[in-house]
Amino acid sequence: MKKRPSPLWQRLNYLKPKETYSNNHSQLQEGNRDWENVYRRRWQHDKVIRSTHGVNCTGSCSWNIYVKDGIVTWEGQQLDYPTTGPDMPEFEPRGCPRGASFSWYIYSPLRVKYPYVRKKLLNMWREALATHESPLEAWQSIVEDKEKAKTYKQARGKGGLVRAEWDEVTKLVSASVLYTTLKYGPDRNVGFSPIPAMSMISHAAGSRFMSLIGGPMLSFYDWYADLPPASPQIWGDQTDVPESSDWFNAGYIMTWGSNVPLTRTPDAHFLAEARYKGTKVVSVSPDYAESTKFSDDWMSVKQGTDGAVAMAMGHVILNEFYHKEMTPYFEEYAKTYTDFPFSVRLKEENGQYVADRFLHAEDLGIESEHNDFKPAMYNKHIDGFSIPQGTMGSRWDEQGKWNLKLVDENTNEPIEPCLSFLGSEDEVVTVNMPYFDAQEKKVLGRVVPAKKIEIDGKTEYVATVYDLMLANYGIDRGIGGEVASSYDDIAPFSPAWQEQISGVDRALVIKIAREFAQNAIDTNGRSMIIMGAGINHWFNSDTIYRAVVNLVLMVGAQGVNGGGWAHYVGQEKLRPAEGWSTIATAKDWGGPPKLQNGTSFFYFATDQWRFEETPVSDLVAANVDKARYDHHGDYNVLAARLGWLPSYPTFNKNGIDIYKEALASGKETTEEIGSYVAEQLKDKKLQFAIEDPDDSVNFPRNLFVWRANLISSSGKGHEYFLKHLLGTTNGLLNDDSDSIRPEEINWKEEAPEGKLDLLINLDFRMAGTALYSDVILPAATWYEKHDLSSTDMHPFVHPFNPAIASPWESKSDWDIFKELAKGVSNLAEEIDLAPVKEVVATPLQHDTPAEMAQPYGEIKDWSKGECEPIPGKTMPQIHVVERNYKQIYTKMTSLGPNIAKNPYGGKGISWNMEEEFEKVKRTIGTVDNGSIADGLPDITSAGDACEAILMLSSTTNGKVAVKAWEALEKKTNLELKDLAAEREEEQFTFESITAQPQTVITSPAFSGSEKGGRRYSPFTTNVERMIPFRTITGRQSFFVDHEMMKEFGESMAVFKPILNHKPFRENRPEVEGKEITLNYLTPHNKWSIHSMYFDAQPMLTLFRGGPTIWLNKDDAADADIEDNDWIECFNRNGVVVARAVVSHRIPRTMAFMHHAQDRHIHVPGTKLTKNRGGTHNSPTRIHVKPTHMIGGYAQLSYGFNYYGPTGNQRDLNVVIRKMKEVDWLED
Amino acid sequence: MNGLDMLLWGIFPYIVLTIFIGGHIYRYQNDQFGWTTKSSEFLEKKRLRIGSMLFHGGIFLVLGGHIIGLIVPVQFYNAIGISKDAYHVIAIMFGLPAGIAAFIGLGLLCYRRISVKRIKATTSFGDWLTLVLLMFVIVSGLIATSLNVNAHGFDYRTTIAPWLRGLFYFNVQPELMATVPIWFKIHIYTTFALYVAWPFTRLVHAFSFPVRYLRRNYVIYKKRIKEHA
Repeated sequence: MKKRPSPLWQRLNYLKPKETYSNNHSQLQEGNRDWENVYRRRWQHDKVIRSTHGVNCTGSCSWNIYVKDGIVTWEGQQLDYPTTGPDMPEFEPRGCPRGASFSWYIYSPLRVKYPYVRKKLLNMWREALATHESPLEAWQSIVEDKEKAKTYKQARGKGGLVRAEWDEVTKLVSASVLYTTLKYGPDRNVGFSPIPAMSMISHAAGSRFMSLIGGPMLSFYDWYADLPPASPQIWGDQTDVPESSDWFNAGYIMTWGSNVPLTRTPDAHFLAEARYKGTKVVSVSPDYAESTKFSDDWMSVKQGTDGAVAMAMGHVILNEFYHKEMTPYFEEYAKTYTDFPFSVRLKEENGQYVADRFLHAEDLGIESEHNDFKPAMYNKHIDGFSIPQGTMGSRWDEQGKWNLKLVDENTNEPIEPCLSFLGSEDEVVTVNMPYFDAQEKKVLGRVVPAKKIEIDGKTEYVATVYDLMLANYGIDRGIGGEVASSYDDIAPFSPAWQEQISGVDRALVIKIAREFAQNAIDTNGRSMIIMGAGINHWFNSDTIYRAVVNLVLMVGAQGVNGGGWAHYVGQEKLRPAEGWSTIATAKDWGGPPKLQNGTSFFYFATDQWRFEETPVSDLVAANVDKARYDHHGDYNVLAARLGWLPSYPTFNKNGIDIYKEALASGKETTEEIGSYVAEQLKDKKLQFAIEDPDDSVNFPRNLFVWRANLISSSGKGHEYFLKHLLGTTNGLLNDDSDSIRPEEINWKEEAPEGKLDLLINLDFRMAGTALYSDVILPAATWYEKHDLSSTDMHPFVHPFNPAIASPWESKSDWDIFKELAKGVSNLAEEIDLAPVKEVVATPLQHDTPAEMAQPYGEIKDWSKGECEPIPGKTMPQIHVVERNYKQIYTKMTSLGPNIAKNPYGGKGISWNMEEEFEKVKRTIGTVDNGSIADGLPDITSAGDACEAILMLSSTTNGKVAVKAWEALEKKTNLELKDLAAEREEEQFTFESITAQPQTVITSPAFSGSEKGGRRYSPFTTNVERMIPFRTITGRQSFFVDHEMMKEFGESMAVFKPILNHKPFRENRPEVEGKEITLNYLTPHNKWSIHSMYFDAQPMLTLFRGGPTIWLNKDDAADADIEDNDWIECFNRNGVVVARAVVSHRIPRTMAFMHHAQDRHIHVPGTKLTKNRGGTHNSPTRIHVKPTHMIGGYAQLSYGFNYYGPTGNQRDLNVVIRKMKEVDWLED
Repeated sequence: MNGLDMLLWGIFPYIVLTIFIGGHIYRYQNDQFGWTTKSSEFLEKKRLRIGSMLFHGGIFLVLGGHIIGLIVPVQFYNAIGISKDAYHVIAIMFGLPAGIAAFIGLGLLCYRRISVKRIKATTSFGDWLTLVLLMFVIVSGLIATSLNVNAHGFDYRTTIAPWLRGLFYFNVQPELMATVPIWFKIHIYTTFALYVAWPFTRLVHAFSFPVRYLRRNYVIYKKRIKEHA
């Protein structure tokens, strides 16, 4: 080894004569180059692993994580994505500054390092455990004692946390879980964790645990208001969107309420590259958003009125490209892939007509199975009605006719669909169509050409969806009626009409509409709309979305690469779907899982339902005198009762007790028990819990939250959470004394506070939720575990690998839930708990024959005597499930036999998995410990669970993909398996995706194709391979025909204004000086949430380092607010304190508070609550929309994270004023 | 001369000198990247500029005074005809204000280090030690000088100076220190403490003044030295 030269000795070199050149201009210095080593070592490391970030981020970027001396030191973008192919830009670079700073968090002071319990609770527990024989009794002595319960519940959010031992907390939680299970019912233990795709094993860990103990999992997509209800309404599919590289294939892109560079940072380069290629970009955004920089034209629309712009664009497109001159490409597309040619019955109401529902085979007297779910279209070949193949009825009658071929399913003759009856009509009929704007709602007398038809001896009128749509859009077809006679006619839905609502120049709207359509003609549909939260978080967002999506359907852009909708809000595509859902719902062991829609759960659990102030009657169509109910919550009761939505906790009785009682009365089979439950319900001996959410037997008791920040980040109606769910100090600024009283829900004068017994949080952050939790369990970060991540932004599945072992006492989510499962099993052994059976209710599910339970979209309420309660038909499905709590851990850590025994699959198709199951056993090894799991695959380690998921999914296992396609071939009678055949031999392994990302295999789990390196675009297999959409017509829907859609005037796209809730009704705090009332919006933050958190120092240094609210400079001036002033922002829901960011970027009338600005960072007190000034969710609460609760009918049937009311919160106003005094409450 | 005097003024100084020289060599050899002023200008500028200028200016003048008084033999002044009184007047006239300037400067630097949060947070034990020792040295020096203002006072040029010079040519004369006033002794011992700490603190920067930089050529070519001779 070389000896290091002595620095001192080298110094002596200075004594040597200086060697100079060029007249003393230059000199020579000698020395060694050791000083360079410090720079060299800066980037030296001991280990690199591939991982990614799993924080509510759709990026799913692959990262190199560098470890040096046992410390994660930095991360760098991976650069080995497979190529996108010739003539395409590559995926790299992917990764944003947020992700690049994550390593900071691992060692930050915010990290939860040990299990914590609030001291008050822990002391009581230790004492109770010492004085009671059974831990269950010990727990009972605390929670059933009002004083004791209040003591620790009131302390929530106020510190006082102490370290506890893992064993001790596990026992505490297990005692609470089992006590609740036996006393109140398994469905009182609830789990919440969002977006599985971002770290699917971590999600599955808890979800599997919850499913095994019989606890419901809450959905997140609808709760976050990211779920677009328009997607199921139109396609029967939830959020299938193009990958980001497909933007490059577009010829015309509109970014509509989506801020691509901010929220899709790693993929924004494709938008820039598309522009270089020549793609035109149009931005629709009220503010000068970052995405507006990319645009050639900017439509600065008044917030929430985007629907008006879209309706007017639709008006222009229908007028010029359909009515005036039929575009061949559009016509062909409309006939084959949309419900335009289908016939709709017109219904007479008081001498006037309204569009009612589809004309079905049954109406035509055609005898076939499910003829009430087989809509008809007019066939020019026979000059009569035909039932085309591909309808929902044909999906389930197993005749192999479920495809999009325009063939009569009865005669097998080709159909020439008739789009319009104009010219061949029997009569021109005035059809009343609902209209809404901010000032009024009314009925427009639109006119449609109709045909007469005899049904049941009566003459009825039918019209095509196309004719109804043209009428709805106000196209002047020269047959009279209320129409927009020109673009300048201020009549719905003309460009001039929209101008006075949205403020967008009519000429611009006309121009963009023409360009959008012309581009689609020129490129065969490569017109794309990237849409996002800006238009998706409103009460009536589904109407905006329907109006916008209609545009891409009208121009034949959907199911085309480079075209169609691209909704990127909080969604993520979980690519290995079947394998994951098997493990996550524990259906390998039994089932069914309890999958509860989150919004309804929180709406009732946090008692936000007690504060409704807008009667539903104000919101329904003008031709409806009075809404079915005036209270929004009543609709949810209806939905639960009719099996539309799930409802956990389900009954006001423990499901275990219901089973015992049924057994006692001699019922044994599931059918008998189902009828027994129906009887009990009918006789009102049994009630739905939702009918009395404030009764203590119906409270949720234990809430597990992981991978989420519910309290402060996603908990809309924050102060309601604090008051009613948690029972601690809150800043609610109103009461429920003058709110609307429900009909179907029992009103208790005194609202309960502190419903939850335990809030259990698994996190590595001491953030909002942890601070309010009773038990905090230290979780591993993204660089400390094995997991999988996928997204719809790219077609790869990325691994998480541990760069370091979980430091301190933290464990991965998988290991923590294993620990809890062991705790529950051990406790069950300790108290010798025998296996129990439980009655479980599930809603009528989409993609099962139950979606045909309630034909014609008619509402028949058994509780009103309109029909009999029949499980699975007019009310929820009833199941009996056995649970052996001693076996929870064994089942948790092994893959159950059902995978091989039962049909396996998803989306309504299934196949056999015996072969693959055997292979899993041989690959990851089996259990051998004398338990029931002997010989079954061992998934004790998260890595093995990942391996199993990859082996059991059609997108990652070629053989499974081919099987899946074969199953769909049987159903559709189409040739499909070639889509995956060339990759049949491929099998993704955890090792292989760690070595390099691989493009997933094309599978019927999704609607697009990756075959031959093709870029993913949704519905391309539907369009190219004639696979039906999973809707009632099998086509994309312009028309949705449920009774409640009619009630709300939403059978077709329509404009609806925002609700504009006033900040206060009464009892507002005293006015102090100048103030201003603004629409309060909480869009995405640039420097938080997506892969990094607001409270991280690297993020805080990027923008003002604390909570801020953006407002317009003139609005600010009106309230004497200057930039950086501290302001209070409040309404009846609560108050938030922040500093003002005064900017001309924001238009007047709105305020932005970017969401998830953590309350534990830099928040002073406010006199309004005498507490620290809230979170961004303090001035919010959710408003549930009844149409989102529809179920039991076609594509509107329930699916987890598929359909359900959204937790929208944007239609709110706040008062903003400068704070007189900033009090940091430091004394 | 007793044993204690021998220890204090005959043996100890060599121990201190050994640590001082050996420490510097050790530090220079092993801690190249620690050889720094540890400037905190990045964290606070205004007070640093005033405090640092006063302190460094003062301390340089004081250093000059010490050289004039201790290294240059009294015989030299006698030879050029500067009387004892005249010497003292001149020494105090220049020395005291310089000392006071250094004192104020150091005070300001201390205050700055305590009051500026970011500086306080980045201050190490060594930094505190340096400040405290310097403060002791300056204060004891000022006291010793102040108590010796009158012209008939004690003359260090005949006691301390020859003792000190003697140390360097190994003519150890601890007896010369016997009659030195206590404050001078304290002052000397505080400097001893400072010398011991010196090599291990930021004070090493005193030996890194970039003298050659002042006459460096414009263009520098670097050549790697041969590491195997």
